[in-house]
Amino acid sequence: MSDRFFDDFRPGERFETPGTTLSESMLLDFAYRYDPQPFHLDVPAAAKSIYGGLIASGFQTLVHAYRMFISEGVFAACAMGSPAMDEVRWIKPVRPGDTLRVAGEVRESRPSRSKPDRGILRMDYQVLNQADEAVMTFSITHLLARRPTS
Amino acid sequence: MNECTFDDLQAGQRYTSAGITLTEAAMVDFALSYDPQPIHVDAHAAAGGPFGGLIASGIHTLAICCRLVQLTKPWVAACLGSPGIDELRWLKPVRAGDTLHVVTEIRELRPSRSRPDRGTVLLRHEVINQDGEVVLTFNIPELVARRAGSTTERAPAP
Repeated sequence: MSDRFFDDFRPGERFETPGTTLSESMLLDFAYRYDPQPFHLDVPAAAKSIYGGLIASGFQTLVHAYRMFISEGVFAACAMGSPAMDEVRWIKPVRPGDTLRVAGEVRESRPSRSKPDRGILRMDYQVLNQADEAVMTFSITHLLARRPTS
Repeated sequence: MNECTFDDLQAGQRYTSAGITLTEAAMVDFALSYDPQPIHVDAHAAAGGPFGGLIASGIHTLAICCRLVQLTKPWVAACLGSPGIDELRWLKPVRAGDTLHVVTEIRELRPSRSRPDRGTVLLRHEVINQDGEVVLTFNIPELVARRAGSTTERAPAP
């Protein structure tokens, strides 16, 4: 965890999470709840699909990556929500047994013009697999509290 | 539901999903798994936070949208996946007890030049609450299979 506030982030700063392994049962469980398409949910059907086997829902890769990054606690002291996500790209399929980690880099930082208690931080995220291949990238605009003045 | 392909779709078509009422338990459960921040999991901490109470994780609203769309769109069997999302905007907070539905519009249809068996369907989703307020919007292209034997000459809608 950290006690960082908006004022502590600098463009180019980079944060990286440890890896977590996605099991087949995690893929099936998520797909059953949120994205029940045959190539996410049905092993024999997935084998015959254009992906040649089961792949994770792209939404699962996104929420899993988000969870890993939030758990790093970089924004624990200052998060005020998020208005936007842009440039989401699913680059490579994620398969059962893949181990993913997330690298987040500060792209841009500017104080809010209308609300002096917060700032706007644009972060670029990259989800990497065990072969260091980027499987997904996305960019989130975060609202972060400024350091309280003493 | 099973027969609908790229060739059956037209730009401007709109689909409205069923509604889903989001309970506090569902919000906290999702956030514990995927977005464990106090404004999503701790009602007391959230009461003193920027939204004055617990709000749903934005990626929970996104996941619900994904699920509702899967129940609604008639080309589920022909869908081959998606390369990404653009211009996603969380416009209003979602709170416990809110009922959400999704309106999906086909913005554009682009037959693939390199692969005659598929095309790209550009969709815009709007997630709307019980008061008619749009809480989330985004654009997502989907790859959708063409009907076997269909021609690649089909012109995209203007």
